This record gives sequence, C-alpha cells and structure tokens, in this order.
Amino acid sequence: MSLNASSALGPAATDALPKPLPSRDTAIQYGTALLTIVLIAAPLIPVLYQSLLDRALYDSGQQFTLSNFGRLFRTEGFGLVIWNTFVFATLTTLISQTLGTLAAVLFGRTDMPGARLFGELFLWPIYLSALVLSFGWYTIYGPAGYLTLWMQAIFDGAPWNLYSLPGMAMIAGVSQAPVAYIYCMSSASITDPTLEEAARVAGAGTFRTLWRITLPLLLPAIAYSAVLNFTVGLELLAIPLVFGDPAGITVLTTFLYNNGVASARPDHGLVATAAVLMLAVVCVLVWLQGRLLGNTRRFVTLGGKATRPRPFRLDRLRWPLCLLSSVYIVATVVAPIGALLIRAFTSLLSPMVPLLDVLTFDNFVSMFEYPIYLRSIWNSFIVSTLGGALATALIGLIAIIVLRSDFRWRTPLHYAALFPRAVPGVVAGIGFFYAFAFVPGLGGLRNTIWILIVAFTMHFIPVGLGAVAPMLLQMSPDFDRAARVQGADWWTTSRRIVFPLLRPALVACFIILFVTFFKEYTTAIFLFAPGSEVIGTTLLQAWTQGEVGLVSALATLQVLVIGVCVTAARAIFGVKLYG
Amino acid sequence: MAELLIENLCKRFGPVRAIDDINIRVADGEFVTLLGPSGCGKSTTLGAIAGLDQPTSGRIRVGNRVYFDGEKGIFLPPERRNCGLVFQSYALWPHMTVYDNVVFPLTLRKVSTADRKRRVEESLALVEMERFQDRYPHQLSGGQQQRVALARTLVYQPEILLLDEPLSNLDAKLRDRARTWLAELRTRLGLTTIYVTHDQVEALALSDRIVVMNGGRVSQIGTPQDIYARPADSFVADFIGTTNFLSGDVVEAPHVNGRTLLRLADGQRVAIKSERRPAVGDKVTFAYRPEQIRLATNDEATIESSIIEAAVVSHSYIGGRWQIGLDVGGNQIRIETQDAISDRQLRLWLPLDGGILFTERTHA
Repeated sequence: MSLNASSALGPAATDALPKPLPSRDTAIQYGTALLTIVLIAAPLIPVLYQSLLDRALYDSGQQFTLSNFGRLFRTEGFGLVIWNTFVFATLTTLISQTLGTLAAVLFGRTDMPGARLFGELFLWPIYLSALVLSFGWYTIYGPAGYLTLWMQAIFDGAPWNLYSLPGMAMIAGVSQAPVAYIYCMSSASITDPTLEEAARVAGAGTFRTLWRITLPLLLPAIAYSAVLNFTVGLELLAIPLVFGDPAGITVLTTFLYNNGVASARPDHGLVATAAVLMLAVVCVLVWLQGRLLGNTRRFVTLGGKATRPRPFRLDRLRWPLCLLSSVYIVATVVAPIGALLIRAFTSLLSPMVPLLDVLTFDNFVSMFEYPIYLRSIWNSFIVSTLGGALATALIGLIAIIVLRSDFRWRTPLHYAALFPRAVPGVVAGIGFFYAFAFVPGLGGLRNTIWILIVAFTMHFIPVGLGAVAPMLLQMSPDFDRAARVQGADWWTTSRRIVFPLLRPALVACFIILFVTFFKEYTTAIFLFAPGSEVIGTTLLQAWTQGEVGLVSALATLQVLVIGVCVTAARAIFGVKLYG
Repeated sequence: MAELLIENLCKRFGPVRAIDDINIRVADGEFVTLLGPSGCGKSTTLGAIAGLDQPTSGRIRVGNRVYFDGEKGIFLPPERRNCGLVFQSYALWPHMTVYDNVVFPLTLRKVSTADRKRRVEESLALVEMERFQDRYPHQLSGGQQQRVALARTLVYQPEILLLDEPLSNLDAKLRDRARTWLAELRTRLGLTTIYVTHDQVEALALSDRIVVMNGGRVSQIGTPQDIYARPADSFVADFIGTTNFLSGDVVEAPHVNGRTLLRLADGQRVAIKSERRPAVGDKVTFAYRPEQIRLATNDEATIESSIIEAAVVSHSYIGGRWQIGLDVGGNQIRIETQDAISDRQLRLWLPLDGGILFTERTHA
C-alpha cells in the first residue's frame, strides 16, 4: 500500500451533489398511479352507471332507477341462465380438479415411464385459447367429427354429445386442468419429502401414503385452484358460444354476448345489470381466493433442505397406467389439436375419405386472398407486440412504485392494479364499449386497434405483475439503497439499477403478454369494428359463417405462433409461462 | 468530513421503540462504533443517519447541514445527504463491472470524463483492487467485493462514512486480515466514521470510542479501555469480554477509599473497591474479568485482596489452557488455568480493585 491516501481523497472540495429534481419522482409516481386508476375505472364506472339508468347512457334524458335489477330477474329464462352457468362452472371445476390432481401425482411423483413428457403435453391446453380448443374438439368429436363418424360406422352412434352441459364442461375441464396441475406441482415441490418417508418407514404402502399423506398435503393447492377454475368457468365465453348456443343452452357470458353485441336493439340496462351481477360474484370469488391463499400456511411444510421427494413405485401398474395416460393425452390434447392442423391442410376430414385425396393448400390460399383475414392476422401481431410492450412498460412502472418506492399511495395502488382479476373479460369488453361510446373525444379510437390495446392492457395488468413482482421481491433492497445513498434519486436509481436487474422478469412479462394478447378474444368481440379485427374475432365470424376450413387454417396459424413463442421462451429464458 | 450530532433521536414502530432517545456526538475524523446485540437499534440508527429510515423525532446534523429535524419537519432524502454507506451485503450491482460500479457516483455528480477515470483508479488502488476493473462482482471473492464496495463509497469523498457490519460476511481468517487492513486504512484516511457491529473484538480493535446499545438505548459511550475496565452496567460488562458475575449483599458501606465489604449467599466475604455508593443491606451484583481471578497460593488475603472458596464443577481443555467451571455460593463462574486441576475445591484470589460493583437490578 504505497499509495498516499490524500491523492485519492485529497483536500479538493467535495463534488457537488447532483442537482435535485424534487418534482420528477413525484410526477412519475402520481402519473403512473393516475393512469392505472383511469384505466381500471374506465370500464367499471360506465357499467355501474348504465345499470342504474332507465335508457342507454348515450341517449338523452336518462333517469336513475333500480328497476333494471327487477327487470333482469323477471326476464324469461334468466333463472335457467343462472342455473346453467352454475352447473357448467361446477362440472368444469370437478373435471379439472380431478384430472389436474391425478396428473400431478402420476406425472410428478411416480416412476411411470414418460412421466415428464406427459407432464409437458398435459400443459398444452393452457397455452392455447379455449376458442381454438373448441374447434379442435369439434373437428374430432363434433357431430361430423372424425372420431364420431368412425364410431358411427362401427357402432350405432357415438356415446358423447358436445352440445350439452357435460360435453361443454368436459372441454372446459380439460383446458383448465393444467391450472390445478400447476398448483399441485408447486405445492408438492415445497412439501418436506420426509413426511412421506416417515409414513413409509412406519409401514404404509404406496397407496396408503398417497391417500393419507400426499393428497391431504395437496388439499390447499386443490382448493385454491378450484376457486380459480370455478371463476374461469363462470367467465368462459368460447365454449358456450360454440357448443351451447346452437343447442339453446345459454350461460351468463353468452347471455351478455347475445343481448349486448349480437342483438340488433340491445337492452343496455339489462346487459349492464347482468354484467354488474357477474362482477359482484367474481369479486366474492377472488376475495375467497385471497382468503384461501392466506390460510395455506397451516398446511405448507417447509423442511429447509431442498431434497427431491422420492418417486412412488408403481411396480406392476407402471405400464398399464402409462397406457392409460397415453390414451388420455392423445384423446384430449394430441387428437383435437392434430385434427385441427390436418383439417387446415384438407378440404374435408372424414374416416370415409382417404387423407391423400383431400390434401390441399386451398384453405391457406383463400385465407391470404380475403383482406379481412390478412388484416386480422396483422392486427393481432401489432396488438400483441406493441400492446405487449406498452403494457410491460406500465406494469414495470407499477411494480417498482408499489414495491420499491416510498410513494404515499403505493398500497392502494397495489390493490387497484390487482383488481382486474375480479373483472371478467366480457364485463371489461362491455365496459370499454360503453366508455368509448360515452366519453366525448374517444370516439376516434373506437374503430382502431388502440381500443383493444387499452382493454387488453387493463385486463391483464395482474398477469403481468405476477411475472414481475416475485423477482422484484427477491432482489435485495440494498441495491437501490446503495444508489440512493450515493446521490441518485428514485427515478435514476430505477433506470440505472432496478430496471436493468429486472430485465429477465420484464422479458418474461412481455412474452406472457404477447401470447395472452395474441389468443385473446373475449374482450375483443365486444370492441372490434371493421378494420380492427384480430384473429380471435375473425375466427368466431368465420365459424358463424360455417367456414370450417378457414377457421382451421387461422387457428393453425395461431397455434404455430404461440407454439414457437412458448418453446423459444422456455428454451432461451427458462420462463414459466403460466400462473 | 464533518462532525456528526445526534440529539434525542427516537424511532417508533407502533408501540415498539426501535430507538429510544439517543444522543451521540462524533467529532470530525473520529471513528465511533455502535455496538450491541441484534435488535438493539444500531442498524436503525445507521439507517436514520443515511436517510434510509425516517426517525419519529429528534435531530441529526452533519457539519452545518441538518439531515433530520422532527420538530421542523426536515427530512433530507438519502440522495441529498452525501453520506457513504458500505452495506453488510456490499450491494455491488451485479450487472455492472467493478469500474462501472465505482464510477456510478461520479457520473451522478457530473465529474468530467478525464477525472472520472483517474479517480476510479486511485480509489481502487487504495483498496488494492485496481487490477480487477473489468471483472463483474460475481467473479470476485467476498473479501474483494468488500474492498470494491469501500472504493465505491470513498471515490466520491462522502462527508461521513457509515459501515454496516462490513466484516460479518467474511470467514474467520479473512475477517482477521480485513480488520487489520481496515484499521490501517482508517488511520490514513481520517474520515468521520460510524461503524456498526455486534462483534466486540472489532469494536475494541478499531474504535476511538464505542457506543454500547441495548434495547434501543445507549448503555455507555466511552473509549474501548473505558468500556472494558469500567462498564456502566452489568449489560455492558456481560457484552464486552468474558465476565464472571457474583451476587451478594453489602455488609460494610464504602469507605473513603471506596473499599466495600460484600457477603455472598454462602456467607463468604469479598472486599471490592467501588465508586458507586450502595447502602448496608443492599442486594448487589459484582463482576470480575477472568484474567483478574487467580488461584490463591497461600493465605495471602490482605487489605488489597480477598480469598474465597469455590467448588469445581467442570473442566475442559480449550487448547493451550484449561477452562474451569466453578460454583461460588450458588454463582456459576469460569476461569482459565495453564494446568489441569485435579482438586474438587479451589481457593481463589480476588484483587480489591479488579472487581466492578453494580447497584442496579441486574439480568445476570
């Protein structure tokens, strides 16, 4: 140490501290908070307002009234709508929880051959939209479906009917089972494996241990995801629209769609009131989710040591169970998606006609001939890329304000930002429709994709926060404190330290939002106009017109784009794209 | 570099007082250690100086600048204080190289490009890390990271230097070396420094003065020698060094020279010199450092010492020496000897001025 200290820390006057910009931090924080609140209130206030008006909110001379509520319940068939909704959501939950839990134990905890591969395939329905899955199921199990026709040729008719509540719940259950699976898997991964080992040492066999130890420990995860799936069952539009409507089975979402969008003279009072009703129910369910999650500590067992649980030995049942799993995966995942892809490249899909005779690119050719298809594909890419990027920026800002600032209203902002969880897609769609019709000056945006970007962003803020918040919480606060002490204000610290460190989470957030925006249709069908179609809305239109080939081609494109994104993201970043 | 003044500082979390009326004056260039067990409020105090924690009331001033004044409603945010803080975790930004880490505060201060490079190099040279400029933090060892963290703090010439347990993440050998190095560096820099630690050895070795804290309050402020030889209360005596506590009652109140006669529970008598003034009959605690207690060789009890009987409870070999556990009238004490002891009973020689008398009710 020959260097003289004074040369480094000489008597020179201390450097001037950077000029304080006292208003900048505050402006950014208040600006973001205000934007968030406006975004979230935008669809809610018009819906609430409309539900209390005696005529459409853009008419003149409205008066406040509570009569809409009475009128709604006196509407003929509304009782049946409520009952159908309840049965559909309950059946969906039962099916998804049973399948998800079985899969979690079988694919996650046993020595069954190919368990990992099955686990991967089991997740696939969650990456795709329920709309595309519906078309897939239709292609294979519909009245003229490949397997249905095949069954009819051999037996006397197929034993299934998708145009029924159980049929619809089957599709919904299969597409929601991954949610139960994911929650059970993450619960199992934090459970102390010695609990199971203790039971085995005490003399319990494989199935007794499973029944008495493993499953009870999974109960909180099953219960939480059950509430989640029940909520999804209430909010689901695609499956009831594709299979319920033709059979005359109406649920709350299709009731809102038929009376709000599809109707020539919509009864806005009735629609808004039904939307408020749905909003209230979902609010209660989301609150219940919070309660369940809060109480799980009682069950969660942390052993400290990160040991992998030993897989259960299936012995003689290994191959039979493997066979059973293969049949399930083929029947519910591979066949519907595969059939949809094949249908896209054929003029007809039937067991009576050899495949080679009907192979064609005509579907894709006509897809590129009609401007509406090209436009919706293009719009989908723009909405997903641009919208995803804008939403990621907003979510990043919200996250650092809520978790990494001393902003006075950060806790209320956090609650507000998570509130869209309680807003069903149909309600958000109706609400934004009203908002853009009602607020003067916003009319210009109505026929553009901006209305979709705004609505999608609002609806998926909680999803994005879910991707960003965990990493921010894990990041040591010393990193930003160090910068603050050295003279950086909050915004400089955020820009130079927090955001760069947060980059992996922001990338993950963008990819998740890209995929989510790309497959979103529920909110969009209330908001799109000629010129602002996206793939989801065009799929529904083409379906209504009976263009099965075009629908398959468009759906194939969506599946391919999402498949590439998901695979690439998981390979490159190890991003978990769900939850 | 400047003087630090903390007056009547309080920090409450609901009903809990994390800091309870603290007053500290640190002179320009002084090295003061805040020492205490975890939860004693030392880190909260440091956070309050740096501006990371907002106190409830009181005043903090550095030089002529008021950092915090509860009454006037002044609270400077951390970036306006020009403190230097080295974190326990070092907090080196993992996405930046060593050079980028150290140059960051200079960039904020708009130092000219030419000066930046020179000063970063000088600062890194000071901590002997100039060869590692292009490395990323994860490519450095714990000790090297600590040096870079220090360089990053020294490079912008902060008014005061705050060190938050900087050695606690190093392993034992490295910690000894780093302590010696830090002691050398502080003599050369002469910065006003507040050092927070729970390790009494670091505190004794490095500090000009030590502030012992307990339960959010200051127990004692003094030089290391002061604190060790004349602890203000039994907490300080217990926390600093190894201490044997005995309890008894006062038989003879202090004489003019401070000589006080005490009686243990089993009736044995001990003379002790005390500046405190207990009355006859008071229950008191008194303490001896292990090095003050010797084995009595003969009946050498004089006016300057006492001899007491003690029963051997345990003995264990601790490398080079033996540690003997003893029972003296119901009090457990420990002494160290060169040789193994085979006796069941020992006679201990206690010097008159080697003990410390406490009059407060005590925890020990």
